Amino acid sequence: MIEFLQHSITGLMIGSLYALVAAGIVLVYKSTHVVSLAHGQLVAFGALFFWLFLGGLGLPFWVGLIPAFILTALLGLAIERVALRPLIGQPLLAAFLMTFAIFISLEGVFVLYLKGETRTLPHFLPEGNLVLSGISVPINQLIGFCVALLLFGLVSLIFKYTKLGLGMRATAEDHRLAQSAGIVVKNIFSYIWILSGVVAAIAGIATANVMDIYYMLPYIGINGLIVAICGGLDSLIGALIVGLLLGLVENVGAAYLDPLVGGGIKDVAGYAVLLLVLLIRPYGLFGLVKIERI
Amino acid sequence: MRPCGVFDKSYALDIAIIRTWQHWAILISALLVLYLFPLFGSYYLVSFINLLSISIIVVLGLQIVSGLCGQISFGQAAFMAVGAYTSSILTIRYGVSFWLALPLSGIMAGAVGIIGGAPSLRIKGMYLAMATIAIHFVVIWLILHMQITGSFKGLYPMPPTIGGFEFDSDERMFYIIVTVMIIMTYGARNLMRSKVGRAFVAIRDNDLAGEVMGVNLYYNKLLAFFISCFYAGVAGSLWAHLITVVNTEQFTLLHALEYVGMLIIGGMGSIPGVFFGVLFIRILNELVMFASPALAKAVPWLGSSPAASLGLIAFGLAMAVFLVFEPRGLAHRWEIFKSSYRLYPFAH
Repeated sequence: MIEFLQHSITGLMIGSLYALVAAGIVLVYKSTHVVSLAHGQLVAFGALFFWLFLGGLGLPFWVGLIPAFILTALLGLAIERVALRPLIGQPLLAAFLMTFAIFISLEGVFVLYLKGETRTLPHFLPEGNLVLSGISVPINQLIGFCVALLLFGLVSLIFKYTKLGLGMRATAEDHRLAQSAGIVVKNIFSYIWILSGVVAAIAGIATANVMDIYYMLPYIGINGLIVAICGGLDSLIGALIVGLLLGLVENVGAAYLDPLVGGGIKDVAGYAVLLLVLLIRPYGLFGLVKIERI
Repeated sequence: MRPCGVFDKSYALDIAIIRTWQHWAILISALLVLYLFPLFGSYYLVSFINLLSISIIVVLGLQIVSGLCGQISFGQAAFMAVGAYTSSILTIRYGVSFWLALPLSGIMAGAVGIIGGAPSLRIKGMYLAMATIAIHFVVIWLILHMQITGSFKGLYPMPPTIGGFEFDSDERMFYIIVTVMIIMTYGARNLMRSKVGRAFVAIRDNDLAGEVMGVNLYYNKLLAFFISCFYAGVAGSLWAHLITVVNTEQFTLLHALEYVGMLIIGGMGSIPGVFFGVLFIRILNELVMFASPALAKAVPWLGSSPAASLGLIAFGLAMAVFLVFEPRGLAHRWEIFKSSYRLYPFAH
């Protein structure tokens, strides 16, 4: 039992990272209806920028955080301005394919910068384990988990109570209607990409806290995409719940099934879950069901 | 390509692939040059054409499922892997001859493709694209975790033989690969003007409307996936016996993305577009390969071997440029050229 709980807790910690990555994707989808494959790169670059200031320049934690946020937000803004704005009015699939072109180019830049090496963030959070009746939780991961929960609350509040959030929700509903109500849709797009850049930077820093920065890091974006789709692309709460669940399934599944099949459950669990969810509920567990007309 | 003043007098003429005697002349001389090419072409060019032809077969399959039927698939690399592994296992472990293993690996990949295409019955567009990414990873995982596929070590298939003659060099494999490529191209071109091809186009343009008009959605979507994966499987088999080493490193998600990129750059829904797209990306890759040592010397920051990552950057940028400025791909430019040639020397 203790063993099971230990695996579950570790899984939940990893799951909160997936949820954080998925949050950025959901944010972008909610108002622009673009599914961003490039989000994994934003996450990876967020981690890399943070490393540059912390490990490279040796700045203290709080000082390094701000330029990392700004740079990642600028990268998000640049993606929106240069690549996605010309595609407004084109089929949505074109925008999806565009994000994958961005993914590939940025992957090239990322690999070029790392040159096959790995970068490790210096320890900027308190070390040690919190032991609770036999279950140990690393404190730095626990902090990441709390940050994830806080961030979800904050973003939901922004969406619900601020004027900007209202504009974003209106834009998500219908671009043209929002425009005739006096909302500048293009500005909303820029804000949303800046916001998603900051969320990506937080996700990247939280991820780099538990693993090294190496060339496979951007592929966490695909895990985030799985979570976002399973949870329903327009549901923040869905991203949180499914993200935690996916971490749980991966870790517990790996612990109990790996000896039976010879390892590697972790790599495939997410995809199996995605296929299952898509077959049973194509619009995700918490997503809005759309009815199509000719 | 028809000069001014040639008119179609019957429906058969209108849908004919080859319309005038000049076409026949060009076709036959082009085929002659192609088949005699290994006699005077350099080894480098011959192996380049081998690579091109295999990519063309894969992208032709993708064209059928994505360009004609409108179901975006990122699983093409995995289906190619299924073909490559099937062919290798059949020839190594069961002693089946290559000539039988080639179509069998296509059918095997097609069968896996039907399972992989099953989600398309309920979802489409971006959701389906994600489902095919998931299928890609599941297939590769299965290959890595089965005994028969040699797991991480991979397999070492032998070159094909016919009556004691071994196709053991790039020049010899050239004939097999190019012949298969030509047959497959003809098949794809023919499919486009058949009833099935028109049903695919109806599904792409509006699946609900197509269904109302009597197109069986399920049957045709699965058929599109089967044909597409058959192409990928045949290409995989050729690939396995060309380079005689098969492992999962050759069939990553990046490869699948590359095939989709070739399709976008070439132009969706057009067979010449496949050739343009594959040529464009492969030549771009070769240019980057040639340029990168010089670049690395000029800019030390790039490190010693920047070719792979520079290739990715160039590929991504090319795709982005095409999506913004020419979403219909190079095939659209080709159509514009054709119609202006047809009008020459008149303006309209």
